[in-house]
Amino acid sequence: MIELSHITKTFNMGKANAFTALSGIDLRIDLGRMTVFKGPSGSGKTTLLSIIGCMSRPTSGRIRLDSRETTSLPERFAARIRRDTFGFIFQNYNLIRGISALENIMIPAYPTGRKHAAVKRRAQGLLRRLNMESKADERVETLSGGEQQRVAISRALINDPSIIIADEPTAHLDTDLSRQFMDIMIDLKDEGKTILIASHDPLVSGYGGVDRGVGLRDGEIVEERQRQ
Amino acid sequence: MILNPGIIALLLASFLIVAFAGYAAFTGFRIIRCWDMRSGSPTQLSLERKTYLVSSIFAYVSAFQLLSLFMFIYTADHIHTLFVGAMCAAGSLNANANGYPTLVLKGLNFFLCGVWLLVNYTDNRAEDYPLIKFKYKFLILISGLLFVEAFFQFRYFIGLKADIITSCCGALFSEETETVAGQMASLPPRATQMIFFLALALTIRVGIYFLVTGRGSRLFAGLATGSLIISVASVVSFISVYFYELPTHHCPFCVLQKDYHYIGYALYLSLLPAGIFGTSVGVLQRFSAQASLKRIVPGLQKRLCILSMSAYLAFMMISLYPMIFSDFVLESHLLAPDTSPWAIYQDVRA
Repeated sequence: MIELSHITKTFNMGKANAFTALSGIDLRIDLGRMTVFKGPSGSGKTTLLSIIGCMSRPTSGRIRLDSRETTSLPERFAARIRRDTFGFIFQNYNLIRGISALENIMIPAYPTGRKHAAVKRRAQGLLRRLNMESKADERVETLSGGEQQRVAISRALINDPSIIIADEPTAHLDTDLSRQFMDIMIDLKDEGKTILIASHDPLVSGYGGVDRGVGLRDGEIVEERQRQ
Repeated sequence: MILNPGIIALLLASFLIVAFAGYAAFTGFRIIRCWDMRSGSPTQLSLERKTYLVSSIFAYVSAFQLLSLFMFIYTADHIHTLFVGAMCAAGSLNANANGYPTLVLKGLNFFLCGVWLLVNYTDNRAEDYPLIKFKYKFLILISGLLFVEAFFQFRYFIGLKADIITSCCGALFSEETETVAGQMASLPPRATQMIFFLALALTIRVGIYFLVTGRGSRLFAGLATGSLIISVASVVSFISVYFYELPTHHCPFCVLQKDYHYIGYALYLSLLPAGIFGTSVGVLQRFSAQASLKRIVPGLQKRLCILSMSAYLAFMMISLYPMIFSDFVLESHLLAPDTSPWAIYQDVRA
């Protein structure tokens, strides 16, 4: 269970341009399910996911992940949780240009100290699973948008995280590729992973495997829909 | 005031240290008053973010403080040529009333900053800030002492005049002088040697017992702290004498000079950490029962114990070297009339 209590996030607090992106969010997210956060641009979806994923800290409020409080963790422990528990798929993929797809996928595993050969085997396995084996040695900037996203998905999975966070994953994809992405997410959910997606794409929020939709607007939850 | 690069650097550094320590102490007050891990209030979350910054800043302040002691002694030694009568740092420090208080405060702060760094290191190993309040109370105490030290250091450097007539180390650390330094110099060498070797042997014996059984950490810490004090007295009483090969020369500063191959730095750089590591074993014992530290503290204590014993062994080896390999035998001089230049000078003057 991921439990959010009174989460507020204010940027530039105390200044004239202070902006509250999230306001008193209370939410419980079951593990092993797929939750989609939907809402217009600026509604706080990305901020919320970044706080859940320990990439940023709230201004107030607490988050408990399986009863473990994560918002107070010193940075070195937060980094460990980020690395071991979460896999991130960013809107613009954030792949490193100039190196191959395989090398991009392996990067998050380096701080774990695992053997290089084992990491490489896992990265190759992930590429194989996503039908990208032939692109392993190609530089990422030469890949198409859909291929880059698969590399990003593989990178998110390299440390075998239990929670996948995807921020606007279909923003640069056509309908077919968007469906393929959602199918991959459903497969991962079936393996027991928790999927958290922020998207304003109706294709994503209405997709068959989504268990729950949470609507956000102006930093507040305005709608909750649970699929039976 | 004398414009010397070392003096300017020490003064500027002390201003910076006091400013940083003041900010850290202010945040420390807020943490002690408002810290509540159960709360998710903006104040609490802001303090959680700040403690990381403040403890990092103070860790650098403490690290510089460790260097500052040696820089201070080096500078005092370097400027001794400007004062009539001074032969080393001992004379420079005696040039006005604030020199020795500054040295004592620097020594004390060196010790406390060392222990604080280890407490901070331990606190950072756990994810629930188990030592946060203790750490900041300790930090506030050190900050106060750093401020007092900066004040004395400022007064000392400001009060230095090139025409001051001061005393040389031979007079300051003479057995006839009725000061703490004189009393240390006049300690009976044989008895002091016995106490010194006994203290170090006991410390190492108890350290081994602690490593094997995990018990006796407080006794080890007490012995390590006691050995530090005894060792400082021993340097003045007999260890320095062997390096100088002069039975009446007890100066703890001349050993830092080139004439003695800067051996004093090796002596003090082994002795002071030995005391800090050893004392920290006892300090950490206070927190060994805390849930998040239960698995961290015992291993850390053992590493610190090994470091302390190794440093004490290194100190003992350096101290023993001239006793074993030089031709000088202190005991023979204790029985024979004193023919050192200082003694002859005193006789002539009398």
